[in-house]
Amino acid sequence: MTTSALPALSDIPEEVPGVIRIENSDRETTTPIIMDMLRSVYPHDQIFGDYCPVQTYIAAPPREVYEYLADTRSLEEWTYSLRGFTETEEPGLWLSYDRLGDATKCFTRTVAHPDAMTVDYHCAWDQSEHLWMIYLMRVVDAQVVFNKPGSVVTWVNCKHPFYDENGYPETAPPKRPVWVGDFWEMFSAGHQLELDNLKAICEYRAANGLPIKPEWMQ
Amino acid sequence: MPQVSLVDVASYLPGDPVPTDYFTQFSRSERMAKNVMFRSPTGRHHIGRDETAVDMAEQAFGVLRERHGADLAAEIDIIITHTQLPDNPVLGAGPELARRLGARPSQVLDVHNSGCAAFVQMMAMARMMMATSEAKTALIVAAQNCAGPVFTQPDIRKLAQAPVPGDGCGIGLLRRDDSGPILDIETRTYPEFAGDMDFSTNGPRKYWEPGEGQGCVSFSESKITKVFARGNRLVPEVALEVCKRIGVKSSDIDTFVTNQPNRLFLRNWHDALELPAERHPDTFDQCGNLFAAGIPVTLDAENRAGRLRNGSVVLLSAFAHAGDFAGAAAIRWGAAR
Repeated sequence: MTTSALPALSDIPEEVPGVIRIENSDRETTTPIIMDMLRSVYPHDQIFGDYCPVQTYIAAPPREVYEYLADTRSLEEWTYSLRGFTETEEPGLWLSYDRLGDATKCFTRTVAHPDAMTVDYHCAWDQSEHLWMIYLMRVVDAQVVFNKPGSVVTWVNCKHPFYDENGYPETAPPKRPVWVGDFWEMFSAGHQLELDNLKAICEYRAANGLPIKPEWMQ
Repeated sequence: MPQVSLVDVASYLPGDPVPTDYFTQFSRSERMAKNVMFRSPTGRHHIGRDETAVDMAEQAFGVLRERHGADLAAEIDIIITHTQLPDNPVLGAGPELARRLGARPSQVLDVHNSGCAAFVQMMAMARMMMATSEAKTALIVAAQNCAGPVFTQPDIRKLAQAPVPGDGCGIGLLRRDDSGPILDIETRTYPEFAGDMDFSTNGPRKYWEPGEGQGCVSFSESKITKVFARGNRLVPEVALEVCKRIGVKSSDIDTFVTNQPNRLFLRNWHDALELPAERHPDTFDQCGNLFAAGIPVTLDAENRAGRLRNGSVVLLSAFAHAGDFAGAAAIRWGAAR
C-alpha cells in the first residue's frame, strides 16, 4: 500500500541510506534531526570548505543589473583586482590582468542566459585552453523573493582541484610568488567585498538616474 | 553604584531522581521511546505533591544558615523570589518564605517576567535596590516546580518534551561588599517575542475553571524552530555584551553557566563563545531543564565540587520563554568552597 500516486524510488529495492523522507521518518523523529543541524556559530570550513557562496541585495532593477553583469567588461569595475580587459581574437574570450599575481593574465568567457538571468564567468589564470575557475552568478527579481523592488544576486564558487594545485604550471610566468588557490580561504570575504562593490556601484547609478550598464559599455 | 557581591549560592533538589523509564512506558511508539531515551536527561527530580516552592527554598536556605550562622535570616533586607508555578496564583512566595526563615526584610518581591533568566534579573534588581536604599543583604530564590505537577499528568507525560523538565531550587546571597563582586549585568527585553509561549488546558476551559483538560506550557509547532533560533542568538548576544563591557574575551571566561533547556543549546552557546565544553558546566543529565533554577543549581554543584576558583570570572547567561527576555551577569568569584 502506498500513499504516493507516483512510483517514487520504485527502481530501488531497499531504503537508500541517508535518505530521510516522511515515509521512513515522521515529523516527531525528524524535528530533532533538523534542530541538531542548527547552530549558533558555524565553522568557517563547514560553510566555505568546497563551496564559496555569497549573496547580496541591490537596490537597482534586476534586468539592468543582469545586463551589466552579462558584459564581461563590468568586471573591470566591480572586481577587486581584474584590470585591463581586452577582447582576444577568439570571439567572447577576454584577456585581463589579475593584479593579485604579478603580471598574471586572466582569461574570461561569460556564459549568460537572459531568461534565467544567470551569468557564469568561466575563467583561468595564464592560459585560455581550460577555463576551470567558474563563478556562478544569478540575478533574481527581489520583488519575487523579498516583496520589494530591486535585485538579489547570488554567487557560488566551487573549489576546483586546480585551486590546490595549478594544473598548467608550464603556463605560469616564471617565479610568480602566488597562486590563485593560495587565497581560497579568503574567498568568502574577498568575494563578499567584490559583491559589496557591485552593490555600491549599481545602487549609486540607480540612485543618480544613471544607466546601470554605463554608456561606455554600450 | 555600590559594589554588590554574590557571596554564596545553595540549592535543593526534591526527592529521588526519576528515571527516564518513567516516561518511556507512556511513549506512543517504540520509535518515540527510543527518541526519548536518546534525547532526555538521564534523571530529573520531581517535587512532591504536597511540597511547595517555599518548602524547597527553606531547604536550600538551611545550607546557607549552616555556613553563615543562625543569625543570617535576621540580616536579610531584601527577598526576591521567582516561582515557576506559583503555589497560590494570586500571591507570591516571598512573604511566606520570610515568615518561615524568621526574616524581616524591608522589601519582598516576587518576579514572574524573566523565566529561565530570573536569577540574572533578580541579581540586577537586588543590586539596584541596594543602590537606592540602606539595604545591605539580599536573598534571591529561583524555584522550578512545574516538572512533577505538570509534566506527569496522564496526557502530558506522553509527550516527547515531558521527560526534559526537572524540579529544584537555587538561591543566592548578595551583600553590599566586594568579596565576590558582580562586575556587570546586562538585561534586555524583547517585546516582539512576547506572547509566543502559551499556557493552555488543551481544551476549552480557562485554567481556573472546573472541568476536563490538562494544563501545560507550550509553543505552537510553527514557533519551535523560531524560538530555537532566537535562543541560539540571544544567550551569546547578552553574554558577549557583558564580556565587552568588562573587557574580557569570551574565550577567557573561566566558567560559563547558562539555563539548560536542552543539550543543543548548551553545545551551541559554548561554541558561540568559543569556550570548551568543560568550561560550560551544566546539570542537565542529572536534573533536566531546571528553568530559572538551572543557573544557581549548577553554580552550587560546581562550587561544592571545588571547581569555582576565587578570583576567576564566572559568566551567567540565559533567555526566557520564547525569547522575550535575556540577561547575562559577570562575577569575580569569591565564594569558593
